[in-house]
Amino acid sequence: MVNKTHTAVIAAHADGRVLSETWDLVAFALQLNGGRPENIEILVLGDNIDRLAEEIAGKSGIDVRAIFCTGLTGYSSEVYLSVLARELEKQADLAYVCAPHNSQGMDYAPALAARFGAACISGVNGIFLEEGTFFFQKDIYGGKIKANMVSHTATTVLTIQSGVFKLDPERQASPGGVVRTDARFAIDRTRFLGVRKGGGDCAGIAEARVVVAAGRGIGELENMEIIHRLAELFPKSAVAGTRIVCDQGWLPYNRQVGVTGMTVAPDLYVACGISGASQHVMGMRGAGFVVAINTDRQAAMFNEADICIVEDITTFIPLLLEIYQQQYNDNAVPQAPGNDTSGG
Amino acid sequence: MKILVCAKFVPDTDHLIIKESEGGKAVIGDLSEYRMNRFDEFAVEEAVRIKEQSGGVIVDVLTVGPEPSKDVLRRAMGMGADNGIHLAVRGEQYLSPMVVAAGIADYAREKDYNLILTGAMSEDMMNGQVGPMVASFSGLPCATQVILLRLSSGRRNDQSEENPDASSDWVAVYVEREIEGGNREMLEIDLPAVIAVQTGINEPRYPSLSNLLRANKQEIETIALGGDNSVLKAPEDLVSTIVPPKMRAGRHVEGSAAEKAEQLLLILHDKALIK
Ligand SMILES: Cc1cc2nc3c(=O)[nH]c(=O)nc-3n(C[C@H](O)[C@H](O)[C@H](O)COP(=O)(O)OP(=O)(O)OC[C@H]3O[C@@H](n4cnc5c(N)ncnc54)[C@H](O)[C@@H]3O)c2cc1C
Repeated sequence: MVNKTHTAVIAAHADGRVLSETWDLVAFALQLNGGRPENIEILVLGDNIDRLAEEIAGKSGIDVRAIFCTGLTGYSSEVYLSVLARELEKQADLAYVCAPHNSQGMDYAPALAARFGAACISGVNGIFLEEGTFFFQKDIYGGKIKANMVSHTATTVLTIQSGVFKLDPERQASPGGVVRTDARFAIDRTRFLGVRKGGGDCAGIAEARVVVAAGRGIGELENMEIIHRLAELFPKSAVAGTRIVCDQGWLPYNRQVGVTGMTVAPDLYVACGISGASQHVMGMRGAGFVVAINTDRQAAMFNEADICIVEDITTFIPLLLEIYQQQYNDNAVPQAPGNDTSGG
Repeated sequence: MKILVCAKFVPDTDHLIIKESEGGKAVIGDLSEYRMNRFDEFAVEEAVRIKEQSGGVIVDVLTVGPEPSKDVLRRAMGMGADNGIHLAVRGEQYLSPMVVAAGIADYAREKDYNLILTGAMSEDMMNGQVGPMVASFSGLPCATQVILLRLSSGRRNDQSEENPDASSDWVAVYVEREIEGGNREMLEIDLPAVIAVQTGINEPRYPSLSNLLRANKQEIETIALGGDNSVLKAPEDLVSTIVPPKMRAGRHVEGSAAEKAEQLLLILHDKALIK
């Protein structure tokens, strides 16, 4: 029976705060259980987790097991793996382990699955039930295709893409209970040396009304100029890019949009030569209006766009700039394509 | 010091054609263009850099896949890897990361690798599971999304001048792994270890002609995945594929390039996004 089995949710937290992924996991687990909180338990691991455990139990309405790991201030794959394996082994009827598809879950979940001989399905962003079998959906091929996956094992480890399953804010639930246990663990082979803070300076991209973003399709550094010129058409605009563009050194990392970069929500997002991988798209889903330009008619980015243009950006953008000069910009002298009109 | 790099042969996603059949089921068209998984290029590069920076390092590169996957090994050897190992599978069936990882761990057993490197994930299946699973099967510590990697010696640092085999002193690896919010976790991990590297950790080089010529002559060790033992049964399956739903209007502007540009400007003007 699908809903007579146990689901374990592994809470995600950092710096003493519950990460939003935790609520997404709760929403997913509830969906898996036909909306009922019974047979779900949320596991919270860490040192000072009393307040976190209460908050999670209160907001989710689901029972929480607070596993105190003295001295564990942050995330540690070694500790999560050994403690989770031990705690979950005791659990009869363990059907699902739900972990976040973030830097924590992606790190420990596959190893946990390997230890249990359990199927592992990564980056789940859809779920449906057909003839008593759950199908889990995930992106493949850069998001151009979705795969329907099934598990053959009694226990299945899932990492859940964040921002897909949402906990209903209106949901009325009486708080779940909190049980406290102490876990003994030894950190043998990994020594945590702290967190190096990054981020901060984000080159004004978060405040921009229009973000013109470049992907690998721009081809070479020299072509970045047309992206900058396109951005100049718009007041309060900024240039951003995908991780690949920043890796290439075509833009500094403080202009990267996505899960490991910035989250932006401008009025207009113009995606130029961007494939539309979820790691990028998650950073721009909040945009008001999205234009995508790509040579590949089937690029995943088009599924995230209001306006789709199948063209080569290296020729299309100069042409667009030229037509703009002719038809919109009264003050400007029409320019031949290729002439530098920037700088003003 | 021995390093094992795991690299995958993947289809070129940009040129992948999807034919949509009834009920939104996606049929993947001819997968003619393949290449080394870009995420893995960073793992190969990192290994080759370690080799270049100190004496006594051997870099083996391993791939799991059907016959043509060998191309990945040649490319990696062209970049500077020493040996290629092909864990062969027949046909195009779904390859579970668990089966792949079990095969790699099996191969690596008793080969005394000090470091096993993988990419962050594959471009086609987008899982990122193989690295942590290899670690689990091999009983090794692991870190993923690593953006900086430095080997640290147990005794004195940088003995490369006097001791050509400074690498024999390496006992641990210092890594920085990317976490949310642009922050990095700093860790020191005892060797042997499995490290999945993130893009941007280095700039992967192009294969050199001389290395490629050598690679073409060199024998590639080919072993059937799972060896003589029965292959671990895939714990999950990819049953079907669909075309992802549109999340927004997704209106295609058609016509000549100039017509598309004019229409786009009009749309942006009407929305008061341009003057
Ligand atoms: C843990 C993790 C975190 C990540 N975090 C991020 C992140 O924060 N941000 C991010 O962006 N990525 C991130 N990634 C990487 C992500 O998975 C993708 O690899 C990346 O977003 C792809 O970038 P791209 O679209 O520029 O390149 P590609 O995927 O290579 O796409 C290039 C696109 O350009 C098109 N194209 C080619 N030539 C032209 C042309 N002349 N004109 C028009 N179109 C053209 C192609 O059809 C293709 O669609 C992360 C990955 C991992 C594993």
